[in-house]
Amino acid sequence: MGALVGLYLGWAQFPVESRNRSLSSLARLHRDEYSVMVAAGYAADRDAFAAIQRLERLGVADVSSHLRETTERIIATSSRDIRDIALLAQLADALGQATDAMQPFINAGPERA
Amino acid sequence: MRPADRRPQPAKTALRRADGYLSSWLFAFGLIAGLIFGIAFTRAHGPWRRGNAEPWQLHPHDRQHYMMAVALEYAHRGDLGRALDKLIALRPLGDPLSQLAEAACALGSRGYLGSAGGIPAIRSAVELYAAQGRAGCAEQLLPPLATEAPAAAQATRAGTEIRPTPLPTKPPLQAARLATPTPRYRPALPDQRSFELLSLRSFCDLRRPALIEVYVVDYLGRGIPGQRIRARWGDEEDIFVSGLKTERGDAYADFQMDEGIDYAISMASGADALGATLSAGPCYTENRQTLKSYRVTFVER
Repeated sequence: MGALVGLYLGWAQFPVESRNRSLSSLARLHRDEYSVMVAAGYAADRDAFAAIQRLERLGVADVSSHLRETTERIIATSSRDIRDIALLAQLADALGQATDAMQPFINAGPERA
Repeated sequence: MRPADRRPQPAKTALRRADGYLSSWLFAFGLIAGLIFGIAFTRAHGPWRRGNAEPWQLHPHDRQHYMMAVALEYAHRGDLGRALDKLIALRPLGDPLSQLAEAACALGSRGYLGSAGGIPAIRSAVELYAAQGRAGCAEQLLPPLATEAPAAAQATRAGTEIRPTPLPTKPPLQAARLATPTPRYRPALPDQRSFELLSLRSFCDLRRPALIEVYVVDYLGRGIPGQRIRARWGDEEDIFVSGLKTERGDAYADFQMDEGIDYAISMASGADALGATLSAGPCYTENRQTLKSYRVTFVER
Protein backbone atom coordinates (compact mmCIF):
# COMPACT_ATOMS: atom_id res chain seq x y z
CA MET A 1 0.00 0.00 0.00
CA GLY A 2 2.89 2.31 0.80
CA ALA A 3 4.40 1.66 -2.58
CA LEU A 4 1.10 2.42 -4.28
CA VAL A 5 0.75 5.66 -2.37
CA GLY A 6 4.35 6.53 -3.23
CA LEU A 7 3.76 5.85 -6.92
CA TYR A 8 0.60 7.93 -6.86
CA LEU A 9 2.39 10.82 -5.20
CA GLY A 10 5.38 10.58 -7.51
CA TRP A 11 3.46 10.25 -10.76
CA ALA A 12 0.17 12.03 -10.20
CA GLN A 13 0.44 14.54 -7.39
CA PHE A 14 4.03 15.66 -7.60
CA PRO A 15 5.36 14.46 -10.94
CA VAL A 16 9.03 15.00 -11.62
CA GLU A 17 9.65 18.04 -13.81
CA SER A 18 12.72 16.95 -15.66
CA ARG A 19 14.61 19.24 -18.00
CA ASN A 20 16.17 16.29 -19.69
CA ARG A 21 13.45 15.20 -22.08
CA SER A 22 13.95 14.53 -25.76
CA LEU A 23 12.01 15.86 -28.69
CA SER A 24 10.49 12.41 -29.05
CA SER A 25 8.83 12.76 -25.65
CA LEU A 26 7.02 15.99 -26.50
CA ALA A 27 3.28 16.02 -26.09
CA ARG A 28 1.33 15.62 -29.32
CA LEU A 29 0.44 19.30 -29.44
CA HIS A 30 4.09 20.27 -29.34
CA ARG A 31 5.12 17.51 -31.74
CA ASP A 32 2.63 18.98 -34.19
CA GLU A 33 4.06 22.43 -33.52
CA TYR A 34 7.57 21.19 -34.21
CA SER A 35 6.42 19.46 -37.41
CA VAL A 36 4.86 22.70 -38.60
CA MET A 37 8.09 24.57 -37.89
CA VAL A 38 10.06 22.01 -39.87
CA ALA A 39 7.56 22.32 -42.71
CA ALA A 40 8.00 26.09 -42.61
CA GLY A 41 11.73 25.52 -42.77
CA TYR A 42 11.22 23.43 -45.86
CA ALA A 43 9.17 26.22 -47.38
CA ALA A 44 12.08 28.55 -46.69
CA ASP A 45 15.01 26.47 -47.92
CA ARG A 46 13.31 23.78 -50.08
CA ASP A 47 15.63 21.15 -48.66
CA ALA A 48 13.51 18.03 -48.20
CA PHE A 49 16.43 15.97 -46.95
CA ALA A 50 17.09 18.49 -44.19
CA ALA A 51 13.40 18.42 -43.28
CA ILE A 52 13.54 14.63 -42.97
CA GLN A 53 16.55 14.85 -40.68
CA ARG A 54 14.80 17.41 -38.50
CA LEU A 55 11.67 15.29 -38.26
CA GLU A 56 13.75 12.23 -37.38
CA ARG A 57 14.51 13.97 -34.10
CA LEU A 58 10.93 13.24 -33.11
CA GLY A 59 11.98 9.62 -32.85
CA VAL A 60 9.54 8.33 -35.43
CA ALA A 61 10.47 5.19 -37.33
CA ASP A 62 9.09 6.37 -40.65
CA VAL A 63 9.20 10.12 -41.11
CA SER A 64 7.10 10.10 -44.28
CA SER A 65 4.29 8.09 -42.72
CA HIS A 66 4.43 10.21 -39.60
CA LEU A 67 4.08 13.36 -41.66
CA ARG A 68 1.20 11.94 -43.69
CA GLU A 69 -0.66 10.78 -40.60
CA THR A 70 -0.05 14.04 -38.75
CA THR A 71 -1.23 16.13 -41.67
CA GLU A 72 -4.34 14.02 -42.23
CA ARG A 73 -5.20 14.09 -38.55
CA ILE A 74 -4.81 17.85 -38.40
CA ILE A 75 -6.94 18.27 -41.51
CA ALA A 76 -9.60 15.95 -40.11
CA THR A 77 -9.72 17.70 -36.76
CA SER A 78 -9.10 21.22 -38.06
CA SER A 79 -6.84 21.61 -35.09
CA ARG A 80 -4.47 24.09 -36.67
CA ASP A 81 -4.42 27.19 -38.81
CA ILE A 82 -4.99 26.62 -42.51
CA ARG A 83 -1.56 28.04 -43.31
CA ASP A 84 0.05 25.47 -41.03
CA ILE A 85 -1.86 22.73 -42.82
CA ALA A 86 -0.69 24.06 -46.16
CA LEU A 87 2.92 23.95 -45.00
CA LEU A 88 2.57 20.39 -43.78
CA ALA A 89 0.78 19.32 -46.95
CA GLN A 90 3.46 20.82 -49.12
CA LEU A 91 6.19 19.02 -47.25
CA ALA A 92 4.20 15.79 -47.41
CA ASP A 93 3.88 16.32 -51.12
CA ALA A 94 7.63 16.81 -51.42
CA LEU A 95 8.13 13.50 -49.64
CA GLY A 96 5.67 11.73 -51.90
CA GLN A 97 3.01 11.38 -49.20
CA ALA A 98 0.33 13.64 -50.57
CA THR A 99 -3.20 12.32 -50.29
CA ASP A 100 -6.50 13.52 -51.70
CA ALA A 101 -7.30 15.32 -48.49
CA MET A 102 -4.13 17.38 -48.82
CA GLN A 103 -4.59 18.41 -52.43
CA PRO A 104 -6.56 21.62 -51.78
CA PHE A 105 -3.86 22.81 -49.39
CA ILE A 106 -1.03 21.86 -51.71
CA ASN A 107 -2.63 23.71 -54.57
CA ALA A 108 -3.38 26.73 -52.42
CA GLY A 109 0.18 27.07 -51.18
CA PRO A 110 1.17 28.55 -47.86
CA GLU A 111 1.16 32.14 -49.03
CA ARG A 112 -2.30 31.99 -50.54
CA ALA A 113 -3.94 29.69 -48.03
CA MET B 1 -11.07 -10.05 45.98
CA ARG B 2 -13.19 -12.82 44.77
CA PRO B 3 -11.57 -16.08 43.77
CA ALA B 4 -12.70 -15.65 40.23
CA ASP B 5 -10.73 -12.37 39.94
CA ARG B 6 -7.54 -14.05 41.00
CA ARG B 7 -7.64 -16.32 38.07
CA PRO B 8 -4.97 -15.57 35.42
CA GLN B 9 -6.09 -13.96 32.18
CA PRO B 10 -6.58 -16.42 29.34
CA ALA B 11 -3.45 -16.99 27.32
CA LYS B 12 -5.42 -16.39 24.12
CA THR B 13 -6.01 -12.72 24.98
CA ALA B 14 -2.34 -12.12 25.70
CA LEU B 15 -1.38 -13.63 22.43
CA ARG B 16 -3.87 -11.49 20.60
CA ARG B 17 -2.42 -8.31 22.16
CA ALA B 18 1.10 -9.28 21.17
CA ASP B 19 0.05 -9.99 17.59
CA GLY B 20 -1.73 -6.68 17.33
CA TYR B 21 1.29 -4.69 18.55
CA LEU B 22 3.61 -6.45 16.11
CA SER B 23 1.28 -5.97 13.13
CA SER B 24 0.93 -2.24 13.67
CA TRP B 25 4.66 -1.73 13.84
CA LEU B 26 5.24 -3.76 10.74
CA PHE B 27 2.41 -2.02 8.95
CA ALA B 28 3.89 1.40 9.64
CA PHE B 29 7.34 0.28 8.61
CA GLY B 30 6.01 -1.28 5.42
CA LEU B 31 3.98 1.81 4.62
CA ILE B 32 6.94 4.12 5.01
CA ALA B 33 9.28 1.81 3.15
CA GLY B 34 6.76 1.43 0.37
CA LEU B 35 6.24 5.17 0.24
CA ILE B 36 9.94 5.78 -0.05
CA PHE B 37 10.29 3.10 -2.68
CA GLY B 38 7.35 4.45 -4.67
CA ILE B 39 8.61 8.01 -4.68
CA ALA B 40 12.17 6.94 -5.45
CA PHE B 41 10.93 4.79 -8.30
CA THR B 42 8.99 7.64 -9.88
CA ARG B 43 12.00 9.92 -9.55
CA ALA B 44 14.31 7.38 -11.12
CA HIS B 45 12.03 6.31 -13.95
CA GLY B 46 10.54 9.67 -14.82
CA PRO B 47 6.93 10.39 -15.60
CA TRP B 48 4.27 7.74 -16.10
CA ARG B 49 3.31 9.05 -19.51
CA ARG B 50 6.38 9.53 -21.69
CA GLY B 51 4.85 11.59 -24.46
CA ASN B 52 3.69 14.55 -22.44
CA ALA B 53 6.76 16.77 -22.28
CA GLU B 54 6.58 20.50 -22.75
CA PRO B 55 9.20 22.32 -24.82
CA TRP B 56 10.75 23.86 -21.70
CA GLN B 57 11.51 20.35 -20.42
CA LEU B 58 13.71 19.51 -23.38
CA HIS B 59 17.29 18.44 -22.91
CA PRO B 60 19.66 21.31 -23.76
CA HIS B 61 20.72 19.61 -26.99
CA ASP B 62 17.16 19.04 -28.16
CA ARG B 63 16.26 22.52 -27.02
CA GLN B 64 18.89 23.90 -29.40
CA HIS B 65 17.38 22.00 -32.31
CA TYR B 66 13.94 23.24 -31.30
CA MET B 67 15.29 26.80 -31.39
CA MET B 68 16.65 26.23 -34.89
CA ALA B 69 13.18 25.10 -35.95
CA VAL B 70 11.77 28.30 -34.48
CA ALA B 71 14.33 30.30 -36.46
CA LEU B 72 13.52 28.44 -39.66
CA GLU B 73 9.86 29.16 -39.22
CA TYR B 74 10.71 32.80 -38.64
CA ALA B 75 12.72 32.79 -41.87
CA HIS B 76 9.63 31.68 -43.73
CA ARG B 77 6.89 33.64 -41.96
CA GLY B 78 8.80 36.67 -40.71
CA ASP B 79 6.57 36.67 -37.64
CA LEU B 80 8.74 37.95 -34.80
CA GLY B 81 6.00 37.75 -32.19
CA ARG B 82 5.31 34.12 -32.94
CA ALA B 83 9.02 33.28 -32.81
CA LEU B 84 9.44 35.10 -29.51
CA ASP B 85 6.44 33.33 -28.02
CA LYS B 86 7.99 29.99 -28.85
CA LEU B 87 11.38 30.97 -27.50
CA ILE B 88 9.79 32.21 -24.29
CA ALA B 89 7.85 28.94 -24.01
CA LEU B 90 11.23 27.30 -23.57
CA ARG B 91 11.49 29.19 -20.28
CA PRO B 92 14.99 30.49 -20.91
CA LEU B 93 17.02 31.54 -17.93
CA GLY B 94 17.76 34.90 -19.52
CA ASP B 95 16.99 36.85 -22.65
CA PRO B 96 15.41 34.40 -25.15
CA LEU B 97 17.20 35.91 -28.14
CA SER B 98 20.54 35.74 -26.37
CA GLN B 99 19.79 32.12 -25.60
CA LEU B 100 19.09 31.61 -29.28
CA ALA B 101 22.45 33.16 -30.11
CA GLU B 102 24.14 30.81 -27.66
CA ALA B 103 22.32 27.82 -29.12
CA ALA B 104 23.35 28.75 -32.65
CA CYS B 105 26.93 29.23 -31.48
CA ALA B 106 26.97 25.89 -29.69
CA LEU B 107 25.46 24.01 -32.62
CA GLY B 108 27.74 25.71 -35.11
CA SER B 109 30.76 24.83 -33.03
CA ARG B 110 29.73 21.17 -32.90
CA GLY B 111 29.64 20.58 -36.64
CA TYR B 112 25.95 21.29 -37.18
CA LEU B 113 26.90 23.50 -40.12
CA GLY B 114 28.02 20.40 -41.97
CA SER B 115 24.68 18.65 -41.54
CA ALA B 116 21.82 18.80 -43.97
CA GLY B 117 20.14 22.16 -43.63
CA GLY B 118 22.55 23.27 -40.96
CA ILE B 119 23.71 26.41 -42.69
CA PRO B 120 20.22 27.77 -43.49
CA ALA B 121 19.09 27.01 -39.94
CA ILE B 122 22.02 28.82 -38.34
CA ARG B 123 21.68 31.67 -40.79
CA SER B 124 18.00 31.98 -39.92
CA ALA B 125 18.87 32.11 -36.25
CA VAL B 126 21.52 34.75 -36.86
CA GLU B 127 19.05 36.84 -38.85
CA LEU B 128 16.51 36.54 -36.09
CA TYR B 129 18.69 37.59 -33.19
CA ALA B 130 20.88 40.04 -35.11
CA ALA B 131 17.77 41.91 -36.23
CA GLN B 132 17.00 42.43 -32.56
CA GLY B 133 20.46 43.69 -31.72
CA ARG B 134 21.93 40.50 -30.29
CA ALA B 135 25.22 38.96 -31.30
CA GLY B 136 26.92 35.62 -30.95
CA CYS B 137 29.68 33.56 -32.47
CA ALA B 138 27.49 31.83 -35.05
CA GLU B 139 27.77 34.66 -37.55
CA GLN B 140 31.50 34.16 -37.55
CA LEU B 141 31.16 30.45 -38.14
CA LEU B 142 28.94 30.83 -41.15
CA PRO B 143 30.61 30.66 -44.54
CA PRO B 144 30.16 33.64 -46.83
CA LEU B 145 26.71 33.71 -48.33
CA ALA B 146 27.99 33.28 -51.84
CA THR B 147 29.61 29.92 -51.17
CA GLU B 148 26.78 28.48 -49.17
CA ALA B 149 25.09 26.61 -51.96
CA PRO B 150 27.85 24.18 -52.93
CA ALA B 151 28.80 23.54 -49.31
CA ALA B 152 25.22 22.86 -48.33
CA ALA B 153 24.66 20.61 -51.31
CA GLN B 154 27.68 18.54 -50.52
CA ALA B 155 26.74 18.32 -46.87
CA THR B 156 23.30 17.15 -47.96
CA ARG B 157 24.79 14.40 -50.01
CA ALA B 158 26.98 13.32 -47.16
CA GLY B 159 24.03 13.35 -44.78
CA THR B 160 25.98 13.27 -41.55
CA GLU B 161 25.73 15.88 -38.86
CA ILE B 162 29.05 15.48 -37.13
CA ARG B 163 32.12 14.97 -39.20
CA PRO B 164 35.72 15.41 -38.35
CA THR B 165 37.24 18.74 -39.19
CA PRO B 166 39.01 18.39 -42.52
CA LEU B 167 42.75 18.68 -42.46
CA PRO B 168 44.11 21.96 -43.73
CA THR B 169 44.90 22.29 -47.39
CA LYS B 170 48.44 22.91 -46.30
CA PRO B 171 50.15 21.38 -43.31
CA PRO B 172 51.46 23.57 -40.51
CA LEU B 173 54.51 25.47 -41.59
CA GLN B 174 56.87 23.72 -39.27
CA ALA B 175 55.75 20.34 -40.54
CA ALA B 176 55.89 21.56 -44.10
CA ARG B 177 59.55 22.46 -43.74
CA LEU B 178 60.37 18.96 -42.57
CA ALA B 179 58.11 17.04 -44.90
CA THR B 180 59.15 15.72 -48.28
CA PRO B 181 57.96 18.11 -50.98
CA THR B 182 54.84 16.92 -52.72
CA PRO B 183 53.59 17.83 -56.16
CA ARG B 184 51.64 21.06 -56.21
CA TYR B 185 48.45 21.79 -58.06
CA ARG B 186 49.15 23.91 -61.11
CA PRO B 187 46.39 25.62 -63.06
CA ALA B 188 46.40 24.62 -66.71
CA LEU B 189 46.28 28.19 -67.91
CA PRO B 190 47.95 31.32 -66.67
CA ASP B 191 45.68 33.06 -64.23
CA GLN B 192 44.60 36.39 -65.68
CA ARG B 193 41.72 37.07 -63.33
CA SER B 194 41.79 39.93 -60.90
CA PHE B 195 40.22 39.95 -57.45
CA GLU B 196 39.45 42.29 -54.64
CA LEU B 197 38.83 41.72 -50.97
CA LEU B 198 35.16 41.26 -50.15
CA SER B 199 35.27 40.47 -46.43
CA LEU B 200 37.61 39.63 -43.62
CA ARG B 201 36.40 38.24 -40.31
CA SER B 202 38.09 36.55 -37.42
CA PHE B 203 36.61 33.63 -35.55
CA CYS B 204 37.49 31.40 -32.65
CA ASP B 205 37.11 27.64 -32.96
CA LEU B 206 38.74 24.96 -30.86
CA ARG B 207 38.87 22.59 -33.80
CA ARG B 208 40.26 25.08 -36.27
CA PRO B 209 42.85 27.14 -34.47
CA ALA B 210 45.21 29.48 -36.27
CA LEU B 211 43.64 28.83 -39.66
CA ILE B 212 43.16 31.25 -42.52
CA GLU B 213 40.13 30.21 -44.53
CA VAL B 214 39.98 31.82 -47.93
CA TYR B 215 36.97 31.81 -50.26
CA VAL B 216 37.40 32.84 -53.87
CA VAL B 217 34.17 33.62 -55.70
CA ASP B 218 33.09 35.25 -58.92
CA TYR B 219 30.73 38.19 -59.16
CA LEU B 220 27.76 35.82 -58.91
CA GLY B 221 29.11 34.25 -55.77
CA ARG B 222 30.14 30.99 -57.37
CA GLY B 223 33.31 29.40 -56.15
CA ILE B 224 36.32 29.56 -58.44
CA PRO B 225 38.68 26.59 -58.12
CA GLY B 226 42.34 26.65 -58.98
CA GLN B 227 43.00 30.22 -57.86
CA ARG B 228 46.35 30.77 -56.21
CA ILE B 229 46.52 32.66 -52.95
CA ARG B 230 49.73 34.04 -51.55
CA ALA B 231 50.67 34.12 -47.88
CA ARG B 232 53.65 36.29 -46.93
CA TRP B 233 55.39 36.46 -43.61
CA GLY B 234 58.79 37.98 -42.90
CA ASP B 235 60.84 37.42 -46.03
CA GLU B 236 59.08 34.19 -46.88
CA GLU B 237 55.98 33.38 -48.84
CA ASP B 238 53.89 30.42 -49.82
CA ILE B 239 51.13 29.74 -52.31
CA PHE B 240 47.96 27.76 -51.71
CA VAL B 241 45.12 27.02 -54.06
CA SER B 242 41.33 27.15 -53.93
CA GLY B 243 39.13 24.16 -54.67
CA LEU B 244 41.51 21.40 -53.58
CA LYS B 245 39.21 20.44 -50.74
CA THR B 246 36.21 19.34 -52.69
CA GLU B 247 34.18 18.75 -49.56
CA ARG B 248 34.39 22.45 -48.75
CA GLY B 249 33.44 23.63 -52.22
CA ASP B 250 35.27 25.12 -55.18
CA ALA B 251 35.85 28.43 -53.45
CA TYR B 252 37.66 27.14 -50.40
CA ALA B 253 41.33 27.09 -49.48
CA ASP B 254 43.04 27.33 -46.14
CA PHE B 255 46.42 28.03 -44.65
CA GLN B 256 47.73 27.02 -41.25
CA MET B 257 49.39 29.84 -39.32
CA ASP B 258 52.08 29.63 -36.71
CA GLU B 259 51.57 31.49 -33.47
CA GLY B 260 53.29 34.84 -33.13
CA ILE B 261 53.86 35.43 -36.84
CA ASP B 262 52.14 38.12 -38.89
CA TYR B 263 50.83 37.02 -42.26
CA ALA B 264 49.77 39.04 -45.28
CA ILE B 265 47.28 37.36 -47.59
CA SER B 266 46.67 38.28 -51.20
CA MET B 267 45.62 36.72 -54.47
CA ALA B 268 48.68 35.60 -56.37
CA SER B 269 47.22 37.05 -59.56
CA GLY B 270 47.88 40.53 -58.33
CA ALA B 271 45.28 41.75 -55.84
CA ASP B 272 46.73 43.95 -53.18
CA ALA B 273 47.54 42.27 -49.91
CA LEU B 274 45.18 42.90 -47.04
CA GLY B 275 45.72 46.17 -45.31
CA ALA B 276 45.96 44.45 -41.94
CA THR B 277 48.22 41.55 -41.16
CA LEU B 278 46.74 38.40 -39.73
CA SER B 279 48.20 36.80 -36.66
CA ALA B 280 47.11 33.85 -34.59
CA GLY B 281 46.60 35.56 -31.27
CA PRO B 282 44.81 33.95 -28.35
CA CYS B 283 41.03 33.85 -28.19
CA TYR B 284 38.48 32.20 -25.94
CA THR B 285 35.55 30.00 -26.76
CA GLU B 286 33.63 27.38 -24.79
CA ASN B 287 35.55 28.50 -21.74
CA ARG B 288 38.84 27.48 -23.29
CA GLN B 289 41.67 29.34 -24.89
CA THR B 290 42.70 28.67 -28.44
CA LEU B 291 44.19 30.61 -31.34
CA LYS B 292 42.28 33.03 -33.49
CA SER B 293 41.42 32.08 -37.07
CA TYR B 294 40.34 34.19 -40.03
CA ARG B 295 37.86 33.93 -42.87
CA VAL B 296 38.75 35.94 -45.96
CA THR B 297 36.68 36.26 -49.13
CA PHE B 298 38.03 37.48 -52.45
CA VAL B 299 35.60 38.31 -55.23
CA GLU B 300 36.42 38.55 -58.89
CA ARG B 301 36.33 42.07 -60.29
